[in-house]
Amino acid sequence: MTMIDSSRPASKAGPSGGPAVRVQDVRKRYGAVQAVDGVTFDVQPGEVFGLLGPNGAGKTTTVEMLEGLRAPDSGQLEVLGIDVARNPDDLKQRVGVTLQTAELYPKLTVNEVLDLFRSFYKRSLPTNQLIEFLDLGERRTAQTRQLSGGQRQRLAVALALVNDPEVIFLDEPTTGLDPAARRSLWDLVQKLQGQGKTILLTTHYMEEAEVLCDRLAIMDHGKILAMGTVNQLVANRFKDRSVRFDEIPALTDEQLTALPGVESIKHDDGETVLYTQDVPATIGGVLALTEGLGVEPGNLGIRRPTLEDLFLDLTGRALRD
Amino acid sequence: MSALIQLSIANIRSFVRDRAALFWTFAFPLIFVVLFGLIFQGGSTSIKLAWVDSDASAGSATLRASFASIKQVVLSDEDLATATDQMKTGKVDAIIEVPKGYGASVAAATSAGAPPTTPAQVTVVTDPTQATTGGIVQEVVAGVLGAVNQGGRPPIVTATVTTIQTQNLNIISYLVPSILGMALMQLGVFAAIPLVADREKKILKRLNATPLHRWQLVGSNVVMRLIIGIIQTLIIVAVGTALFGLQVTGSLILLGSLVVLGALAFISLGYVIASFAPTEDAANSMTSVVQFPLMFLSGTFFVIDQMPQPLQVVARFLPLTYLSDALRQVMVNGTAFSPLWFCFAVLIGWTAICFGISSRFFRWQ
Repeated sequence: MTMIDSSRPASKAGPSGGPAVRVQDVRKRYGAVQAVDGVTFDVQPGEVFGLLGPNGAGKTTTVEMLEGLRAPDSGQLEVLGIDVARNPDDLKQRVGVTLQTAELYPKLTVNEVLDLFRSFYKRSLPTNQLIEFLDLGERRTAQTRQLSGGQRQRLAVALALVNDPEVIFLDEPTTGLDPAARRSLWDLVQKLQGQGKTILLTTHYMEEAEVLCDRLAIMDHGKILAMGTVNQLVANRFKDRSVRFDEIPALTDEQLTALPGVESIKHDDGETVLYTQDVPATIGGVLALTEGLGVEPGNLGIRRPTLEDLFLDLTGRALRD
Repeated sequence: MSALIQLSIANIRSFVRDRAALFWTFAFPLIFVVLFGLIFQGGSTSIKLAWVDSDASAGSATLRASFASIKQVVLSDEDLATATDQMKTGKVDAIIEVPKGYGASVAAATSAGAPPTTPAQVTVVTDPTQATTGGIVQEVVAGVLGAVNQGGRPPIVTATVTTIQTQNLNIISYLVPSILGMALMQLGVFAAIPLVADREKKILKRLNATPLHRWQLVGSNVVMRLIIGIIQTLIIVAVGTALFGLQVTGSLILLGSLVVLGALAFISLGYVIASFAPTEDAANSMTSVVQFPLMFLSGTFFVIDQMPQPLQVVARFLPLTYLSDALRQVMVNGTAFSPLWFCFAVLIGWTAICFGISSRFFRWQ
């Protein structure tokens, strides 16, 4: 089954064949807080683009400006070639949206909420097709308050798909879901990507960004700190691999830096991380040091740098839920 | 248009599935009607009759004794003018007038072998708005006269029933329009709570991300509450009529437009509350703060003229005063539109001002 209307391929971009989403030097201030501080990025048609960052980074504000829910203080926002500020009604007909909180008419059934939302659009997909696609068949006559978190989130996605949109905005789609529900939502996003939809999502889960996003931008304090594919981002920043083990208080940074191959050291949540060009030599050095102290390095291991490392490196703090 | 209808249906469904809302909207006003009806109905087992004897004969004295022997009847001797006054102020339920010549006429008819004569006439005055009491009075009269006539053909005495409209409505006729007004007030003011809840749950924000227009959202809310208001009216009037003999005498079109206008005035007041209530809990408290003065100072349960002067002044500014008053006038007195223009104007003014305030201050997110 496909969600795509054959008469209008979803992968088609704005009228000029330009990017599906264009954000140009956008700023938004709430009182003393500069929530979004000069953000610029493009999302290409058919791409899954992620905004990754901690709470308060400005991800949601950015997405809500693109959805026409908030007006920017300055800057340009375009979706499918539509100026968001000038033609919000045209925009809303052609995009799909999920908000962070997915509470919707607790006393209405899944069927009823879908039919209600279908009535808002000029064109809409049949309710049955949506229910089948989102695997909500067994719950279609259940009131939404009786749904599990995962089902509720799938319903929220179904509502975002009601108008067969070309661009879909998903704001923290898996926050608060259990791992199984998160997996099933990831599958869903990948299915939509397979149909050529353009998807812009926000998340503060590294793993989610790595699994889902073709490209992503790392945001903090209203600014984009880095942008690219996961591999580009990590490779650009770290030519080294890392050796890590549970922190040993008796070891000084001076001792560790002096080990062969070590470029830099980080302490992250009870763990010591050594970035090195020569993994075997560094491990040998660590073992020699610990043997001298008569202790064993716990959870000693080697890792390729991850987004987590990148974020830590960019912001000096770890990204946690 | 389809979105407006679908959204109205969605609102009605949510409402109907909310037992608390159903209770406050339909059961609560009915409990008031039944409770007050029973309290005041209890008193009417005794019938207060003003006895106006213009004949002062042996015959009239016999008739008076027959009435006095009935347990529920309380007789008081009055002249016609006093009796009429007393009826208008609700001190007596009905007047029985024995005309001059009654005794002579009865004596002539009952003397042995007398030729058939025209029967003597007794006049009974009742109030048509007090259907229950009026019915009891007529039964009592029929019973007494039946005993006097003893099945004789032609009858010796007959009763002519005349009616006068008393100024003082009976208590049920007063209360049913008041309770209807109160119910419409609550229906409207309570519009604030689900609206603020929907804002808090980000439902309004989610709707804002669809092509739905705000007027469709507001419109669907109004449509839903108007439909419920009309259903409330039908139920309250039906119960008042069936159990307590309420008679709706006025124009149904006028009553209908009052119900719609009254509901609108208070829905708009509900929107003002929703404009200033940051949370659902705050909206709950604010509706209580607004509804209780309206309930008690608008003549719903206490007649405004009998309230202390400062409170009377307050009452003159409350929209429910005018809605309840107009409802009473139309339902019970059958008043036409023209004397009520001021009530209509006040309600329209309130609606306009409140919608104005809420469209200026209401926050959608």
